[in-house]
Amino acid sequence: MNKNIVALTVNGEEYDLALEPQVTLLEALRDHLGLTGTKEGCGTGECGSCTVLMDDKPILSCLTLAADCRGSQIVTIEGLAQGGKLTAVQEAFLEKGAVQCGFCTPGMVLSVTALLDENPQPSEEDLKKALEGNLCRCTGYNKIVEAVHQAVETISSPEGEGRQA
Amino acid sequence: MSELEYVGRRVPRKDGPEKVTGGAIFSVDVRLQGMLVGKILRSPHPHARILNIDTSRALQVPGVKAIVTAADTPGIPHGFVETPRYPADQPTLAVDRVRYVGEEVAAVAATDHYAAEEALDLIRVDYEPLPSVFDPLKAMEVDAPEIHPNHPKVKEPYRNIAGKTETAWGDVERGFAESDYVRQDRFESHLRTHGYLEPQATVASFEANGKLNVWTSSQGPFIKRAKLARTLGLPLSSVRVQKAYVGGAFGGKIDLFSHEFCAGLLSMKTSRPVKIVATRQEVFCAYRHGQPLIVEVKTGVKKDGTLVAQEYRVINNPGAYRGSGVVVIFLAWGFAMLPYRIPNLKYEGYAVYTNNPVRAPQRGHGAPQMRFAAESQLDMIAEELGLDPVEVRLKNARQSGELLPNGDNVHNCGLSDCIKEAAKSTGFSEKCGQRRKAASSERYRRGIGMGVSSYFGGSLIYPNSSSVIVKMNDDGSVTLLTGALDIGQGAETVLSQIVAEELKLPLEEIQVIAADTETTPVDIGAWISGGAYVSGNAARVAAEEVRRKLLEIAEEELEASKEDLVVDDKSIYVTGSPDHHRTYRQLVEASIRKHRGDSIIGEGHWRTMRDEPMHPSLATTKGRWSENYAFDAQVAEVEVDTHTGMIRLLRAVTAHDCGFPINPLLVEGQIDGQVSMALGHAFMEQVLMKEGRTLNPNWLDYHMPNIHTLAPSEHIDVITESYEVGRPYRTKEVGEGYVSAILAAIANAIYDAVGVRLFSTPFTPEKVLKGLGALARSDENDTDV
Repeated sequence: MNKNIVALTVNGEEYDLALEPQVTLLEALRDHLGLTGTKEGCGTGECGSCTVLMDDKPILSCLTLAADCRGSQIVTIEGLAQGGKLTAVQEAFLEKGAVQCGFCTPGMVLSVTALLDENPQPSEEDLKKALEGNLCRCTGYNKIVEAVHQAVETISSPEGEGRQA
Repeated sequence: MSELEYVGRRVPRKDGPEKVTGGAIFSVDVRLQGMLVGKILRSPHPHARILNIDTSRALQVPGVKAIVTAADTPGIPHGFVETPRYPADQPTLAVDRVRYVGEEVAAVAATDHYAAEEALDLIRVDYEPLPSVFDPLKAMEVDAPEIHPNHPKVKEPYRNIAGKTETAWGDVERGFAESDYVRQDRFESHLRTHGYLEPQATVASFEANGKLNVWTSSQGPFIKRAKLARTLGLPLSSVRVQKAYVGGAFGGKIDLFSHEFCAGLLSMKTSRPVKIVATRQEVFCAYRHGQPLIVEVKTGVKKDGTLVAQEYRVINNPGAYRGSGVVVIFLAWGFAMLPYRIPNLKYEGYAVYTNNPVRAPQRGHGAPQMRFAAESQLDMIAEELGLDPVEVRLKNARQSGELLPNGDNVHNCGLSDCIKEAAKSTGFSEKCGQRRKAASSERYRRGIGMGVSSYFGGSLIYPNSSSVIVKMNDDGSVTLLTGALDIGQGAETVLSQIVAEELKLPLEEIQVIAADTETTPVDIGAWISGGAYVSGNAARVAAEEVRRKLLEIAEEELEASKEDLVVDDKSIYVTGSPDHHRTYRQLVEASIRKHRGDSIIGEGHWRTMRDEPMHPSLATTKGRWSENYAFDAQVAEVEVDTHTGMIRLLRAVTAHDCGFPINPLLVEGQIDGQVSMALGHAFMEQVLMKEGRTLNPNWLDYHMPNIHTLAPSEHIDVITESYEVGRPYRTKEVGEGYVSAILAAIANAIYDAVGVRLFSTPFTPEKVLKGLGALARSDENDTDV
C-alpha cells in the first residue's frame, strides 16, 4: 500500500513518518516512534489503555488515524515528567498506591492530567466522568480516586500554585 | 528489639516510577531486530476430526516465513497438572482432533500482520465434525460423546471424567443422625474471565548459540521455562525466560499456552525473533477463563448451630483438556473445611471434560464458589433455628493451634476476631433482620450480610521453593537477585523492604534484578500465594547472611565482640559510642583487602513444610497442604430496588488476618481489587457461551467494574503474627483470599433486604424480581453458562 508522509508533533518533538493511510496513532507511537508507554489493551476503544492527549484532550489512540493528527500536539505518558521531575498526578499515583500492574496507568494518568489541567477542582461526578473510559482490573479504583484527591490538593496548595497537573 | 523502619510501613512501589512514566517494559513492548509477527489458526468447531491440513497456498504469500502444524512439533503434550495420575493431556498444536472452538491448529510467522492474516485465511483444514457436549452433567452421561476416555481410576458409570477427588473423615451418616437439623441445597456459579488488561503476549528469539530467549506475559518464569523446554525438546538450560512486567494475570497466565510454544518453534524454524500477541477477542474466545462449579451441600447441625456433619458433591467443567480442573476439585475440599470445625465430612468432586475452551485458575481458584454455597446455607440454617448469624459463625470458627484433618496446623488464627470486628464496625447485629420486617412496603430496601473464608499460602507445587541472593556492592548498597516476578502484587517492593529492614539500608539503595531464569535463583511463582512468606523468608535469610558477614568483619575492624555491635543506617558501631563505627562501604573494602578478595554475598532459601517431600494428593487430599492459612470475615451492605431488581453494593468491610502486613498500602490494594472483582462476579460479569462459542468477546458486552461501579471497600487488620529482625516470620497471603466471603456476604445481604435467596451467581435483576414474584419464573436464558 502507498505510504504518505505524516508530520506528527509528539511530546514537543516533530517527526515526519512514512505511514500507510490505515496506521493508527497507537501504531505510529509504539511501532514507529518506539514510545511503548502507550498501551493496547483491546484495540477497539473499550479499555482506555491507549489514551493519549491530543491538544490537551484525552483521546483513544487505537481508534485515531495517525494521519488525522497532523497539526496537533500529541502528549504521551513519556512526555509528562520533565527533567526527571514527576508531575503532581504521577507523584500522587505512586504515593497513594494507585499503581499495581501498571498497564492501565499511562492512560489513567493522562486522563487525570487532562481533567485537572482543565478543571483543577473537579467534583466527584467530574472525576467519574473523566475516568469512565479507563478500565483498571487491579485496584478497584479506590486508590486511584485517592490519588486524584491528593493531586488536586497538591496543585491547589500554595507551593503547588501554578504547577501543572 | 529495635523499631521496624521498613517492614510494616506504607512504602510506595519500587517499580512505581517506571510505571508512571511509561518506561516499564511489558512483554507486548519487547521489540527486537528482524522480529516477525506470529498468528494462530484456531479451530472453528467444538469437536471435529482433522482429515487434512494444506499449507501450500499460505506459504506462497509474500512475507510468510514459516508455518507450523502438529507435524512440525516434537509431539509432547502439556498440562497444568503433570503427575503419574494426571499425565499431560493437551497437545501444543491439535494433532488429529480438535476439542474446542479456538483450539490451536497451526501458526504462521510473517514480516507483518497483514501477511500473517492472509496466510491464516489460506491454510486449508478439512474437518469432519463430531458430536459435542458442553454441559458437565450431560457430558457425564454414559451415552455422551467421548472427548477423552475416562480416567482409569474412576469406576463410576460416567463418561468424560478427567479426575475425581474423594475424601472423608468422621462418620458422616452418624453425624446426620445425631443432628437436630439437616438441610440440603444446590448452588451454581457462572463463567467469568480474568480481565487482565495486557493480552497474552510472547516474544521468542532463537539465537545462533542454540539459546531460546523468551519474554512472556506470565506469573513466573520458571514454570514457563520447564514446560517450553520440554515441549520444544530442548535442554532446560537452552531456554531463558526473562523479565518483562506483566499487565495483570489473576491466575490466567500460569502454565504453558500454545502461543508461547508456537512463538518458540517459529523462531527456531526461521532463526528470527517472533512475537505473538493475542487480540482481545482471542483472549475472550479461545483462552482460559475461570471454572464454574455445581455445589451440592448437605449440612447437619445441633440446635445451637454447632456443625456436626457436612457432605459435598462438586462438579467442575474444566473444558476440553484437564487444565487446572483437577486442582479445583481438590481445592474445593479445602475451602469447604478450612474456616469451621466440621467433625464429620464427606466430599466428592468430579472434573468433567466438555467441548468448552480449557479453563485456568482464577483468583480464589474455587473459593468464591464454595464459600458462596457454604455461607449462604449457613445463614439459612441460622434463620431456621432462630440463631444470630454472627453467633453461629463464632461457635464454629477455627481457633489458634487447631489441626486440620490432613494434619496441618492453622497456627495463629484470627478468625473469631475478624468476625467480631467486622460485625462491630458495621453494627451488624442491630441491622441484620430488622429492615426486612420494618420496611417491606418501601421501594428501596437495604440489607446486611456476612461471609467467612480462609486461604492457604505457598503450597508445594513446582518449583516448590524460593531462593534469593543479596550482593553487597563496593559502595555499601546491595543488589537483590530474585526469581520473583512482579505482576502488580508488589513482589519487588516487599522483598526489598525485608532486605532493607535486615540490613538497615534505605530502599533506594537496593537494586532489584528479578525474574530471569538465567541470572536469578529459582522462585515459587506469583500464583500459589506464597510470595510474601516463601520468597520473603528466602530474602530475609540471604540478607541475614550478609549482615552476619558484615558483623564478623566489624568485630575485627572495631575490635569488639558481636554482642556489643549495633547495625544502623548503613553502618555498624559499638554500643554507646556511635563515633566508633565502620560504614558498609568500609566493611566491604576491608573484606576484600584483608580476606583475600572475599566480597560479601548472602544466599537464602525457603520452602514450606520442609519435612514433606511432596505436595498433597489431588485425588485423596492426603498429605500436608500448607503451613500458613489466612482468615477473613467480610460484611456487605446492599440496597435493592424492588421495582427494577437492581442491587447496589453500599459498603464492603473486610476484617482480615493476613498474619503481618509487610506493606499495608499493598495489602489494602489487594483487598480493594478483590472486592471489586467480587462485585463484578456478583452483578456484572458473565462470559456467555453457546455451543462452545463465546457470544460477548469484548468489554462492551462483558462488563467489568469501572469507576462508576467502584466498591466502597474498608479494611480492618487483625494482626496475629509479628516481624523481628534476624528471626523467621510467618505471614499469610493477601492476594486471593478476599474474593470469596464478600460474594457470600452480598448474597446474604440481598436476602436480608428483600427475602430473596439466590442459589446461583450472578445476582441479576431478573433473579431478584422472580424471587419477589414480580416476574414470572420461566426457563432462563438460552445460553450454556
